[in-house]
Amino acid sequence: MNKEELIAQLKVIIKPYTTNTEAYDNLTEETDFINDLNINSANLVDIILDIEEAFDVVIDNTDMERMLDVKTSVEIIETKLAAK
Amino acid sequence: MIGNDVIDIIQSRKESNWQRKGYLQKIFTSQEQLLISNAPDPEIMVWLLWSMKEAAYKIYNRQTKIRAYIPQKLICSIISLNHDYSSGTVNCAENSYYTKTFIAPETLHTIAVQSLDSLNNVVEIENKNIIKDISGIPYLTSSLSNTFQDVSISHHGKFEKVVTIRPAF
Repeated sequence: MNKEELIAQLKVIIKPYTTNTEAYDNLTEETDFINDLNINSANLVDIILDIEEAFDVVIDNTDMERMLDVKTSVEIIETKLAAK
Repeated sequence: MIGNDVIDIIQSRKESNWQRKGYLQKIFTSQEQLLISNAPDPEIMVWLLWSMKEAAYKIYNRQTKIRAYIPQKLICSIISLNHDYSSGTVNCAENSYYTKTFIAPETLHTIAVQSLDSLNNVVEIENKNIIKDISGIPYLTSSLSNTFQDVSISHHGKFEKVVTIRPAF
């Protein structure tokens, strides 16, 4: 899976938790889940659980700490997929 | 320093399914999970502990400027709990925070401070004359004294709370 495909799949995952549609439509790697997409911090855990299910990976606490934006999430998913 | 977090219970039921597999394990320590499973009302315990973490994190973030999603590193202890009020502490690394939570049928509001004395001097204020720095941390401005005072703002669903510590005279 290349990065574009990965971002596209991540975008589908985060859609239900997003309240800022404009920021969502213009999503880039720099997009921040909380500051830009207005995602409730209690829903970040849903995104992490959805990522684990969709990509069949395990996100541990250390990875979770940094999962606040698209770029970092993509990096973490890529690393997990490469280690499989 | 001060932090607060308000929760709209009705809104949380629309937004979050805390009974989802793996959910509690990701954000709560094993001790906190025990508090939830033993609670007469697990839903209130989930949001009580979560709002304690959120309120404490706002101080931690203000103090350290560190931004991270660290719910398991904000370790909650409940000191007292009845139907409409709870007090507790949250520890994060070497930092300790004291919390109090007002519990009503549709909402919880937790306030966190760094010293126990300050808990009695917390006041709710209107959302005006508040500015944010580049990190998004809010301050109350005073045109009279030309000072900036720590303030914390939280909104969720139909609730908004703005709190500050009343200065000692």
